[in-house]
Amino acid sequence: MMPVLQVGPVALPLPPLLVLVGIWLGLILAERHVAHFGLNADQLFNLVLIGMISGLVGARLAYVIRYPQAFAGSPLDVFSRNLGLFDPLIGAVIGVLAAVIYAQRRHFPLLSTLDALTPGLAVFTFALALSHLASGDAFGAPSNLPWSLELWGIRRHPAQIYDAVGAALILGYLWPGRKFLGEMRPGGYFLSFITLTSAARLILEGFRGDSALLPGGLRAAQVIAWLIFGICLYAIDRIKSQPKLE
Amino acid sequence: MTPFERLLPARAGKIPTHLILLLAGALWIWFSRVTPQDALAGSVAPRPGFQAPDFDLPDSQGVQISLSALRGQAVIINLWASWCPPCRQEMPALQKVYRDYHEQGLEILAVNATSQDNIQAAIEFSTELGLTFPILIDTDGRVSRLYQLQSLPTTYFLGRDGSIQEVIVGGPMAEALLRVRIERLLGQAAP
Repeated sequence: MMPVLQVGPVALPLPPLLVLVGIWLGLILAERHVAHFGLNADQLFNLVLIGMISGLVGARLAYVIRYPQAFAGSPLDVFSRNLGLFDPLIGAVIGVLAAVIYAQRRHFPLLSTLDALTPGLAVFTFALALSHLASGDAFGAPSNLPWSLELWGIRRHPAQIYDAVGAALILGYLWPGRKFLGEMRPGGYFLSFITLTSAARLILEGFRGDSALLPGGLRAAQVIAWLIFGICLYAIDRIKSQPKLE
Repeated sequence: MTPFERLLPARAGKIPTHLILLLAGALWIWFSRVTPQDALAGSVAPRPGFQAPDFDLPDSQGVQISLSALRGQAVIINLWASWCPPCRQEMPALQKVYRDYHEQGLEILAVNATSQDNIQAAIEFSTELGLTFPILIDTDGRVSRLYQLQSLPTTYFLGRDGSIQEVIVGGPMAEALLRVRIERLLGQAAP
């Protein structure tokens, strides 16, 4: 756990920094291989930039609209750097919507665009697991296994390390440029990433000590991952049954 | 055929394989569900979801204040030092919300990391800003160690049941952020 990186007199919050580095490295990797999917690097960069800016602005606006009374006495807080003043879920929805609208207006092919973004998403997922390791979030459930770690007076699964290893394996398997990826139908690369990531979440969430719970003690993330995994299996069938475009 | 697709058998056998995978997933969800014995309730750690570690410290007037005595109130624990610029910047916002919400059941414990600060400078600073919430003096760094302090300021938001709802590392915190968190804490039922 290392929530703060001390660089001389400056204390940098490491978890969000790792996420930003993940986005940057993911974008670099995606841009290097974007030509395989019929797009160019500028198009991909603009798409990601528009999605991110819209997402950030949307997340802050959604928060302000949700809690207007909190900002009434200090309206300049609308521009605060506090990460706690964002609505991440609404921000993600707005960011994706903005990117979709931009892609449609520029006539980007949907499935190939998703494929082009996949290496970036895989790197981002890995960076997110590392950011959890730095912040101490997403910690493991109690365990007596030989590799469990002592955390807050009790031995626990190293759940963040499981997540990082899982994300690294998926990234390695789907590393762009591998021969079999070139043989996939449009959308197949993205679908493979979502299928593997949902399967990893389904398995690894079971080792977490801080899961959001549904009635009966079921872990919400596992149930969502299970549904997505089922939809992906169905979609893989559909894609494979379609004739391959030359 | 890609290696990934090879994981799944030919079309005729696909649906059973898919069903087997989904059934295995469903069984794992059931097997790994959280039972009441697994829940964090009652565990003590300086992390969200856990009970806040208890402590008692003297305030700047010498009055001993114990965290456990505040059970039933929403509590903000702010670890700070007078030489730390973001700590200084967020104090006026903390004072404002203390003035607005103290009567409704909010308590703020501003724990001065005195082992890394000058006690006189800390008291002068609180007097200069007219802070009315307790300034606790952590002379030997006991609370800093108990809460595994890694950066100043660090702020812990505690519900009425004494559990940590959120930890914010760094600052300065905006007044709006404090108001949203406090409203949420005060809205919780007392234990």
